[in-house]
Amino acid sequence: MTDVLLRLDRVNSFYGPVQVHFDLSLEVPCGQIVCLLGGNASGKSTTMKVILGLLKPRSGQVVFDGQPLTGLNTPQIVRRGIGSVPESRRLFGTMTVRENVLMGAYTRSDAKSVAEDYEGVLDLFPKLRERHAQQAGTLSGGEQQMVAMARALMGRPRLIVMDEPTMGLSPLHVDRVLEMIQTINRQGVSIFMVEQNASLALQIAHRGYVLQTGRIVLSGPAADLARDPQIRDAYLGGAQAA
Amino acid sequence: MADQLKNSLPKKPLLEIAGLTRRFGGLTAVNGLSLTVETGELVSIIGPNGAGKTTLFNLISGLDAPDAGAVTFEGGDVTGLSAERLAALGLARSFQHGRVFGNLSVLDNVLVGAHTRLRAVKPQIPLVGPLVELALALIRPPSVRAEEERLRAEATEIVRMFGERLTPRLDKPAHSLSYANRRRVEIARALALHPRLLLLDEPTAGMNPTETAEMLEIIRGLKAGGLTILLIEHKLDLVMQLSDRVVVMDHGARIAEGPPAAVAGDPAVIEAYLGHKAVGAANQDGPNQDGGRDAEGDAARILVAH
Amino acid sequence: MLPTTFGPWLDYTINGLVIGNIYALLAVGLALIFGVSHLINFAHGSVYMVGAYIGWLCVTKLALPLPVTFVTVAAGCGLLGAVIERVGLRPLRNAPRIAPLLATIGLSVVLDQSAQLLFSPDPRALPTQLPTWRIAIGGGSIGALDLLIAGVGIGSAGLLYGFLRFTKLGWAVRATALDRDAAQQCGVDVDKVNRTVFAIASALGGVSGLLVGMYYNTIDPNMGFQAGLKGIVAQLIGGVGNVPGAIAGSLLLGLIESYGIALFGTSYRNLFAFVALILILVLRPNGLFARARRLPPEPLTGTFIAPSRPLVLPKWAVWTLAALALALPLVVQQPYLLQTLGNAWLYALLALSLTLVAGTVGQVSLGHAGLLAIGAYASSLLALDAGVPVLLAVPLAGLVAAALGTALVYPAFRLRGHYVSIATLAVGEIVTLVILNWESLTRGPIGVTGIPPLSVAGKPLVSGQWVYWVPLIVLLAFAALQSRLLNSHLGRTLRAIREDDVAARSYGVDLNRYKGLAFAVAGFIAGVGGALMAHFYSYINHETFPAPVSMLALTMVILGGLGNVAGAVLGAAVLVGLPELFRAAAEYRMLIYGVVLLLLIRFRPQGLLGTV
Repeated sequence: MTDVLLRLDRVNSFYGPVQVHFDLSLEVPCGQIVCLLGGNASGKSTTMKVILGLLKPRSGQVVFDGQPLTGLNTPQIVRRGIGSVPESRRLFGTMTVRENVLMGAYTRSDAKSVAEDYEGVLDLFPKLRERHAQQAGTLSGGEQQMVAMARALMGRPRLIVMDEPTMGLSPLHVDRVLEMIQTINRQGVSIFMVEQNASLALQIAHRGYVLQTGRIVLSGPAADLARDPQIRDAYLGGAQAA
Repeated sequence: MADQLKNSLPKKPLLEIAGLTRRFGGLTAVNGLSLTVETGELVSIIGPNGAGKTTLFNLISGLDAPDAGAVTFEGGDVTGLSAERLAALGLARSFQHGRVFGNLSVLDNVLVGAHTRLRAVKPQIPLVGPLVELALALIRPPSVRAEEERLRAEATEIVRMFGERLTPRLDKPAHSLSYANRRRVEIARALALHPRLLLLDEPTAGMNPTETAEMLEIIRGLKAGGLTILLIEHKLDLVMQLSDRVVVMDHGARIAEGPPAAVAGDPAVIEAYLGHKAVGAANQDGPNQDGGRDAEGDAARILVAH
Repeated sequence: MLPTTFGPWLDYTINGLVIGNIYALLAVGLALIFGVSHLINFAHGSVYMVGAYIGWLCVTKLALPLPVTFVTVAAGCGLLGAVIERVGLRPLRNAPRIAPLLATIGLSVVLDQSAQLLFSPDPRALPTQLPTWRIAIGGGSIGALDLLIAGVGIGSAGLLYGFLRFTKLGWAVRATALDRDAAQQCGVDVDKVNRTVFAIASALGGVSGLLVGMYYNTIDPNMGFQAGLKGIVAQLIGGVGNVPGAIAGSLLLGLIESYGIALFGTSYRNLFAFVALILILVLRPNGLFARARRLPPEPLTGTFIAPSRPLVLPKWAVWTLAALALALPLVVQQPYLLQTLGNAWLYALLALSLTLVAGTVGQVSLGHAGLLAIGAYASSLLALDAGVPVLLAVPLAGLVAAALGTALVYPAFRLRGHYVSIATLAVGEIVTLVILNWESLTRGPIGVTGIPPLSVAGKPLVSGQWVYWVPLIVLLAFAALQSRLLNSHLGRTLRAIREDDVAARSYGVDLNRYKGLAFAVAGFIAGVGGALMAHFYSYINHETFPAPVSMLALTMVILGGLGNVAGAVLGAAVLVGLPELFRAAAEYRMLIYGVVLLLLIRFRPQGLLGTV
C-alpha cells in the first residue's frame, strides 16, 4: 500500500523539563535496513522508546503502515507488527531459552503456527536448539543476542527495532550479529537500528540518519554517509576549536 | 644537590591500577586491567559501549569493589576503600548520565563538592565530632562563617568558568537545567573538591559541537593548570586533541595504549571499533569495492585523522 | 514454665507450621506483588482483615457452607485487590517511587477505618463449622482446622506453581517480574498482569484472614496491621519477590514464634518477628536464600522525591504569624479551643521531627511514634521514680530519645528506600513491645499514672493558656533552630543524601554520620514533644502512641511539604486542629487522614508549601 513502513513526523519529546527530540522526522522504507547513528545521550535510545510507545511525545506523531500510533500503548503497538530487540538484550534471565523465545509470540493465539514458527526460528539459530532448556541468563553475550532476535521474530513483525545490537559483543559475534540482521532483512522484515558505532551500522544499512542533541543533522543512503566527511564532525563530536 | 636527588628518584605514578577484575554473574566487566596515570597527565580511555569503562571508574572511585587486583593512589593502597574516603584523599568524578542533586540549587550542588574541604565547622574530634559539627552549624562562630563565605565565593568563581551558560542560573534548582548544563554542574562540583585526580565520564555526552568545543577548552584549561585527569570519551576528535596518552578498552581489558596517533593506527583498535571483517580492509587501505567496504575504510581513516 | 516432655514441643511445632502456613498465604502474595511492581504493599494486611469480615458475614449472617464461604472470600478480596491496583496504584505509575508506598499506607488506613465504622471496633467471634476431633500423634495432636489450613496452604502453592509454570498469563507474570519493559515489548499488557497479580495476592490474603479468624475464633478491624507486617517479615526472610523463599520464610517465622512463645510467653510473640526482621535486614538484606552480595537495586539515578518549587515565606510573614499565634490566648479564651491548638502544636513537634528525617534526608520513617513514646516514658519515669524536676526531665527525655532512637535505627542506615520504612516500622513496634513487657521499669500494661505537670517555681502550668503557650513556645524555638540548621552546610549535605546518596558519597559525605545527626536531632525534638504530652496528659501507657500516630505524622509532613519546616507546622495545625474545630466525630478522624493522604499523593505530592 505504501512504500514507507515507519515515519516519525516532527516529534518533540521530553524527560520532565528537558527536551530530548527537536522536530525529529525520519522514515523507514519497506524492506530496508535503516540506522540511526549518534553518540551517547544524543537521544537515539529515546527514539526507540517513542516508536514503541514507552515515551509519549509532546507533539508530532509516529506513523506505521499509514496509521498513526498516537494513543496506543506498547502492547497495542507490538500487535500492529513492530518487534523489538532492546539494548543489552534484556532477556528474561531465569526463564529458559524456549520460554524466552515463545514470549515473543505472546500476542498470537494460533498455537499451531506458533509451533511451526518456533521450529523455523530454531532452524535459523541452530545453536538455540541445543540450549532450549537452559536459563537465558547463563548464555554468552552472542547467544543472548540470538535469543533476543528469535524472540522478536516470533511476533511475525513487519519491522524490528534494535537498540545497539552489537554492544558488548566480541568481534566474532559482532560479525555474526550483522549477518543475522541481514538474513532477517532478506526475509522481508524491515529493520530500524540505533547504533553508536557508525562504521559497523553503515556496513549493512541501506539508509542512515545522524542524530545529534535530539536533531537530525545528516541523512542519506548508507554508502553516501560512509563517504561523507561531515559524518566525522557530526558523529564523532567534531570539536573544532584550536 | 637536593634537586638532583629528587630527580633521580623513580617517579611514583599518581594512580596505579594492577590486574583489576570485576565480574557480574557470567559477565566479566573488567578483566585484569592495568594502567597508570602520572601527575599532571591527561589519560583518555576509549572503547565501544559495554567495554567496561564506567565499571572501571566505579572501581577506582570506590562505588564498587573489585574481585581481584589493586588500586594505588599517591603510593598508598586504596583498593576497596569507600567512596567517601577516596573523595577525602582528593579523588573527584563526574557521572556518565549526570547525577546532580535535583532539588538543590546550582550553588549548593557545587558547595557539596567542597564538603571534604570543610575544616572550621568540622573539627576532627573522635566520637563527639558530629555533635560539635551540629553545634558549630547552629552557633556559627566567625571562623565558620568566614569559611562558608570563602567557599561560596569560590564556588561562584568555579561556576563563572562556564560563563553565561551557568552563572545566571546559580540559584535555580538543578532539576530545571538542560542536560548539558547538568554536566557542567557536575564538573563544577568535582572542581570544588580541589581534586588531585579528576575522573570525567563522558563530559560531552549530549552536547552539540559548539558546546563540545567549549567543554574542550575548559578541560584544556584545567590540564594547563596542572590538574591530572582520567577521561572517558567517545568523541575521538576531542580525545586526540587533549590526551597525553590513550588507553583503549574492549571486553573489560586494555587492548592498546600509547600516544593518540599511535593508538589510532593500531589494528586491534580498528577491530574493536569496526568489527572483525574490517581489519583486512583497513590494512589494505586500497580502493573499496562496495558501499559496505567503503564505510570501513573511511571510518579507519577517521581514527587516524589526527 | 518450660515444657519438659517431648509432647508439647511437637504441639508447638505443629502450631508453628500452621501459623507459618497462614503467613505464607500473605507472604506469597506480597512477593508476587513486589515481583511485578517493585512495591511493598502495606495495604495487604487490610485485605486480610476484609477477608476475615467477608468470611464472618458468610458464616454468621448468611450461614453459607464452608466451601462457598471460601470461594466468596477469595472472589471478594480478589476483586478488592484489582480495585486497589486500579484506583490506588496505576495512576502513580510514573510518580516518584515514594508515592505508591505512601498510597498503600493511605489505602490501609482507609480500609481499616471503614471496617471499624461498619462493624464497630469490637472483636467478633468467627465460629468454624468444622468437626472438633483431633488426631493424636506422638504426644501432640492435629485438629481438622490444622489440616484444613495446611491443605489450603499446600493447595494454593501448587495452584500458583501451575499457573506460573504452565499458563500464558503465568509466563507473562514471570516475564514482567524479570523485566517489565522487555515484557511490554513482547506485547504483554503489564496493567493486566498487575491487576491479575493483585487479585491473586489479595484472594490468598483474604483466605488467610478467614483461616486466622477461624483458628483463633476472633476477628477485629485492626487485625490486619500486625498480620501484614508478619507477611512482610516472612517475605524479607525469604528474600523480597522470591515466591518459594516467601513460603520458606513464613514457615520459619511461624516456628520461631511458636517456640519463642513456648520459652518466653505470649506477650513476646510479636517481638520475635520484629527482632528477626531487623537481624535479617542488617545481616542478610537479600534474604536467607539469596546469593547476591548487594542490596536489590533501588533506582540509581532519578530522585526519590519529586522535583518541586517550594513556596518561601518572607521573614516578616513568619514573624507576624508567630506573633499572632502567641497573642491568640489574649483574644480567644475558650479553654477547649486553646487546648485543641496546644495539642496541635505538640503534634507539630512530631511533624517537625519527621519532616527532618523523611523530608530533608529522605529516610521515610514509619515508626516515629516510637520516639514520642520513648520521650514520654523517659520524662515520666525520671520525674516519678528518680525525682528529677519536670523542667529538667523534659530535656533529659529529649536526649534519651535522641540517643535511643538513633541507636535503634542505626542498623537501618545502610538500607535504602522502602527498606528504611519497613525497618523503622519494626523499630516502632519493638519500642511498644518493650514498653509492654519490661514491667519492672515501665509498669507494663498498667501504664504510668500520676505524672506531675510541668511547673515553674512551684506553679503548675495547667491552665488553658499555658497548655497552649508552652507547646507553642517550644515549637517556635525548635522550628527556628531547625531552619537555622537547614541554612547551614548541614542543610545542603542532608538534602544531597536524599537526592542521590551515591553522588553524595562520591563527594566525601559520610552517610552514617549525617543520617545519625539527623535522627539524633529528630529524636530530641520528638522526645521533648512526647515528654510534654506525658506531663499534660498525666497518664500514659503503651497504647498512647500507637502506629497510626506515625501515619498521622507522615500525613502532616506530606501535607505541608517534605522537609518544609513551616509546612510541618501547617500540616499539624490543619490535621489536628481542623477536625477538632469542626467537631468532626472522633471515629471519622483517622478515615479523613487516610483519604487526605491518598488525595495528596495523587494530586499534590509536593504538599501545600512544597518540598524543600
